[in-house]
Amino acid sequence: MEQPFSLTSEVRENRLIITTNGYVNNVGGAAIAEEFQRHFTEGVRHVIIDLALSRVVNSVGMSFLIEIIEKLTDAGGRLVFTNLDPSVDKMLGIMGLYDFAGREATTEDALRALAIRS
Amino acid sequence: MRPPAPKANVMGRAVDVPVTLKIALPRVPGIELVALQGLEHLARHLGIAADKVGEARIIVTEAIINAFEHSGPDTTEVRVEFTMTADELTIFVRDSGRGFDPKTMVERPSVTSRGMPSRRGWGMKLMRSLSDGFEISSGKRGTTITITKRLS
Repeated sequence: MEQPFSLTSEVRENRLIITTNGYVNNVGGAAIAEEFQRHFTEGVRHVIIDLALSRVVNSVGMSFLIEIIEKLTDAGGRLVFTNLDPSVDKMLGIMGLYDFAGREATTEDALRALAIRS
Repeated sequence: MRPPAPKANVMGRAVDVPVTLKIALPRVPGIELVALQGLEHLARHLGIAADKVGEARIIVTEAIINAFEHSGPDTTEVRVEFTMTADELTIFVRDSGRGFDPKTMVERPSVTSRGMPSRRGWGMKLMRSLSDGFEISSGKRGTTITITKRLS
C-alpha cells in the first residue's frame, strides 16, 4: 500500500528539488506547497518535483501543484515534473498541465532543461 | 466489433470468471487507499497490464473522494464494488448522501480566465476521460456512479 506522505528537498544550482514519497492528496499537496513557498519567498524560481515514489496522486493534491505553477508562471519561473508513473503522467496531460509545466525522465534531465531556459 | 481478448493466464489456466470485491469504506482520511489495494490485488490475480491498473487507480480514487466530498457531512460510509475479468472492470461507488439532479451537473471549465488549468473540479473529467463507460444515478437516497473500463 502507498506509504504515508513524506518529502525531502534540496536546492541545487538555485533550483529547488522536491522529492516526494507516498500519496499526494490534500495532505501531501499541502506539504509540497508549504515547502515550495518557503523557498519561493527566498527567491527560488525554478522547481523540480520528483514523483518517483508517488504512484497515487489525486485531483485535490494536484490543486496545490497548480497553485505552485501559477505562482512560478507569474514570477517567470518553471516547474518540471520528473520520474512520473505513466498513469500520473496521463493524468497531468488530461489536466493540461504540460502547457505550463515541463516533464523530464530524471532530475538530472530536468536540471539540464532548466539550465537551458535561464 | 472488437474480437474477444485472450483470457488471462493464472497459474497455468485461463481466467474468464469475474471476480468481485465489495468494500464499505468509513469516512476516514486516505481510506481510498484500502480500495486501491483490493483493486490491485484483483488485477494481479488476473494478470492485468500495469498501464490499465494505473488508470483504474485514478478513476477509483476520484470516485471515492468525490462521493465523500459531495454526499454531505452526514454520510458515514461509501460502498465500493469492483467486478473484474481479464477484459473489463466495472466499478460501482455508492453513497447514501443528499443526492443531486445529474441533469444539473456541469463540468467546470478546465481553464481559468487567465488560461491556466482550474485548481478544482477535475474529478468528473478524469473519470470520464480514463473510462469507457460512465453513468450517474442520484436521488434522495444517495448517488451511484457506475464506471466501466476495458482492460485488454
